[in-house]
Amino acid sequence: MSFWTEWKQKLSFVRRASRFDQGLDDEILFHLETRAAELESQGFTRSGAVQQANREFGSRQRMREDSRAAWQFRWVQDLLSDLRYAFRALRRNPAFAATGVISLALGIGANTTIFSLTNEFLFSRPTVRSPETLAALRLGGNSHSPLSVFRFVRDSKAFDGVAGELEEAEVNWRDGDQSSRLHVMRVTGNFFDVIGVPVALGRGIQPGETRVVVISDGFWRNHLASNPSPLGRKLILDGAVYTIAGVLPRNTRTLVGFGFAPDLYVPVEGEDSIVAFYARLPDGMTRQMALERLGMVARDLDRAHPRADGGKWNSNLQVSAVSGFEWLEMMDIMPIAGFFAVLMIVVTLVLLVACANVASLLLARASSRSQELAIRLSIGASRSRIIRHLLAESLLLGLLGTSAGILLNLWLTTAFKHVQLPLPLPIQLQIQPDARLLVYSAALALVSALVSGFMPSLRASRADVNSVLKQSEHQVSGRRWGLRNVLVAGQLAVSILLLTTGLLFLRNLLKSTTMSPGFDVQQTALARMRLVPEKYTTRDRSDQVIRSALDDLRALPGVEAASVAQIVPLNDNLQFGQSIRTDTISEPRHNEFTGNNVSPQYFQTMGIRILRGREFADSDRAGNPSVVILNEAFARRLFGAVEPVGHWIQIGDGQRATVVGVAKNSKYFLLSEDEKSAIYWPTAQQEGLLTDLNFLIRARSRPDDLAKPVNVLLSKLDSSAAVEFKPMRDALGFALLPSRVAALLLGSMGFLGLALAAVGLYGVLVYAIARRTREIGLRVAFGATPSGILRLVFRESALLAGTGTTVGLCTALLVMRPLQSFLVPGLSAADPLSYALVLAVLGVVVFVASLAPAIRALRVDPLRAIHYE
Amino acid sequence: MGKPQPPPELLPGTLYLLALRTLRDGPLHGYAIARRIRDASADTLQIEDGSLYPALNRMVVKGWLASEWGISDNNRKARFYRLTAQGRKQLERETKDFDTLISAIQLVMRTV
Repeated sequence: MSFWTEWKQKLSFVRRASRFDQGLDDEILFHLETRAAELESQGFTRSGAVQQANREFGSRQRMREDSRAAWQFRWVQDLLSDLRYAFRALRRNPAFAATGVISLALGIGANTTIFSLTNEFLFSRPTVRSPETLAALRLGGNSHSPLSVFRFVRDSKAFDGVAGELEEAEVNWRDGDQSSRLHVMRVTGNFFDVIGVPVALGRGIQPGETRVVVISDGFWRNHLASNPSPLGRKLILDGAVYTIAGVLPRNTRTLVGFGFAPDLYVPVEGEDSIVAFYARLPDGMTRQMALERLGMVARDLDRAHPRADGGKWNSNLQVSAVSGFEWLEMMDIMPIAGFFAVLMIVVTLVLLVACANVASLLLARASSRSQELAIRLSIGASRSRIIRHLLAESLLLGLLGTSAGILLNLWLTTAFKHVQLPLPLPIQLQIQPDARLLVYSAALALVSALVSGFMPSLRASRADVNSVLKQSEHQVSGRRWGLRNVLVAGQLAVSILLLTTGLLFLRNLLKSTTMSPGFDVQQTALARMRLVPEKYTTRDRSDQVIRSALDDLRALPGVEAASVAQIVPLNDNLQFGQSIRTDTISEPRHNEFTGNNVSPQYFQTMGIRILRGREFADSDRAGNPSVVILNEAFARRLFGAVEPVGHWIQIGDGQRATVVGVAKNSKYFLLSEDEKSAIYWPTAQQEGLLTDLNFLIRARSRPDDLAKPVNVLLSKLDSSAAVEFKPMRDALGFALLPSRVAALLLGSMGFLGLALAAVGLYGVLVYAIARRTREIGLRVAFGATPSGILRLVFRESALLAGTGTTVGLCTALLVMRPLQSFLVPGLSAADPLSYALVLAVLGVVVFVASLAPAIRALRVDPLRAIHYE
Repeated sequence: MGKPQPPPELLPGTLYLLALRTLRDGPLHGYAIARRIRDASADTLQIEDGSLYPALNRMVVKGWLASEWGISDNNRKARFYRLTAQGRKQLERETKDFDTLISAIQLVMRTV
């Protein structure tokens, strides 16, 4: 209570400090003059009275200071003076300060960047009205359900509103004489209202509206040139005219999260559309209660709209929050979350190394200053005062390091923002430093400062005054394995771990980029053509386009072969798990395999060799006998040693199809896959409508030159279709993305860790040499050769490096094993080359770090060293 | 640094007690407090007048005293200090503690 009064009083003082001084002076003056007048009346002379009054009063200056001190926060004052002192100390020792600040800046900069990245990607909250009362619903285990079901759930009034959206949709936007593919989010009419999506300009989509569109800020800026009056403008999407009703604010995070940023929002149309459901929960309704209520709705739904496939809507019900762990689990991206977790561990290790660095630096510094500290102790400084003083130094170092780290983070995140990831989805992360990040970095600074400052200051302040003052520091060689040595050995161990991980992933990247995916990427190109579904309602019409496109493409000069495929390898995947019968086995067997529908000339275009049998021909069309081509792996799994060509296979209850060829194995979806089973069907025998066409083209020379003619040619066939041309090399970006990201992040972390550890090693060695100057001087005086002295230095560093390396290598071998699944086949997690490289790099680094201290040791002048005392 | 610096003759903390005591009967300015202490102790307590002011300020911060500007007897602007309720309680407490201490010391002096 009285403590509180003091605080309030002192706080109020801050505002009237200058008036206080004036008042105090007035008071002193009044005192002195009154006293002098009194003395004068007692018979003193005027000057005598003034002198006497002053004498009685004592030191005016001290009185002023003491009175002021009564009003001030002592610790703030002390802290400021400590910091001022620390600042001067750091300025006097710029190498030390720079090393410490850079260590922490790199450690914290990396840490905060990864933190913002992880936070933004995994845990950002959508920019919608009170997301905490929103819940994602799933019925019958389906992520998306038909519109009829949506209407039933919406009209059940079980919640304060239910809205739906289909996120992974595309449209063709016709702009002048060009068509381009845009990512749209199709939403139900009540979506903007129920979800509460903010609109910067205009309004959201209203219930019952069709042919209106809400555009994203990015689309407005990039495609409409920030047109000041975009509202009411018309966009031709999939051949229909849409009116722009609104523009979203900048930096909106969609309900889907993960940086997903569609260009447009349009109303969902068509009875067979499906949507994901989101409910606005009434006040006080928990998700558990919502689940029960959803159960009741689903029961009614099963009665009103029984499912066509015989399943129950009232099964596998889910109600999830729209952000946080629950959401990650629902969206099934826990593996990616796992990768980020590994990343967080790695950067924490880097920060640990940085802290250890600063700690060993401070420790070395404290020891070299033990004389000064001992003197201060002996003339009456309290231990706590000395600890505080040393802590202030590390606190300052921590603050400077954090500020530098935050700057680094700002720079990195801005750089990240402009990186366009080669993904098939529009992902744009809105990474910005936020309050959480600031708290996080402030906590880091504090922890770093305390961790790296506390031990050294405790030790320094414990120094025995007598022995230190007697200079015995230079005589006692001290414990061989002091805290500092343990720190450096630990740093080396951690950096070995980081470096091996990084190097392994760099090798992985190198191997992935140079490894042949089993098909040609140098001479091939991809032309993606998206037909407007409304215009191609029968198969005949799209077949017509495909036929003319292939004919025209093959006739282009510079084109060697052309084909069309449903799946572009390493970009997309069609995965099956079904039982298969063949005429060589009696019982159907379950098989996991990937599949693709391809036209004739596919294998020629892709440069995949047909080992036996033939490629698809024009005669393999609907009406003729069903045929398939298998890859080697699948052929061996199904037929063993039997020649498969000519035999039939039957997938599930489907038609029997004759194997007409066996193709060489290649990569289908991931570079890390190995010996995957694959099957090819002829496009002409594929069922269903075709609107997304992938034309694969083999050029006689460079495929890049074909971009223009191919674009012109395909656009001429259908001007409403969106066409994209890419050399195959560029189209593989997605497949290489994981290796690239992993190599970039883990590789840079590894080298960062090593650099930090090298600095730490250097610091410790320099200190060790300084401590042994006298000993070395004596040795030289007694005839030690330079090589003997060098041995002395290098023995110390070899011992440290050896211990650290052994521990690091053992840990790395253990830790790397689970990472095997991330690596391309043929690269082992215990890759000897990587380990050898790490050891070589480490050897060089240790040598370089020891060089300067060694030279310093050689320069020790015996006379000076011995006379030093 | 900053600690109260009474002359060695004065028991630590006694200056607070003396100042509080002089203010028991009403507000006084700094000089009057110093004067009262001097007169009452018949000049035996040699206190530097200046050391009184930090002590007064500290007691204001603690909330034992309140101060305001007023006009002195010789018609000049002066800062007057008065006891707050909290200060009155503090005076009682310190007086009791002081008495206990003194009687304990006297007891020891008599018996040993």
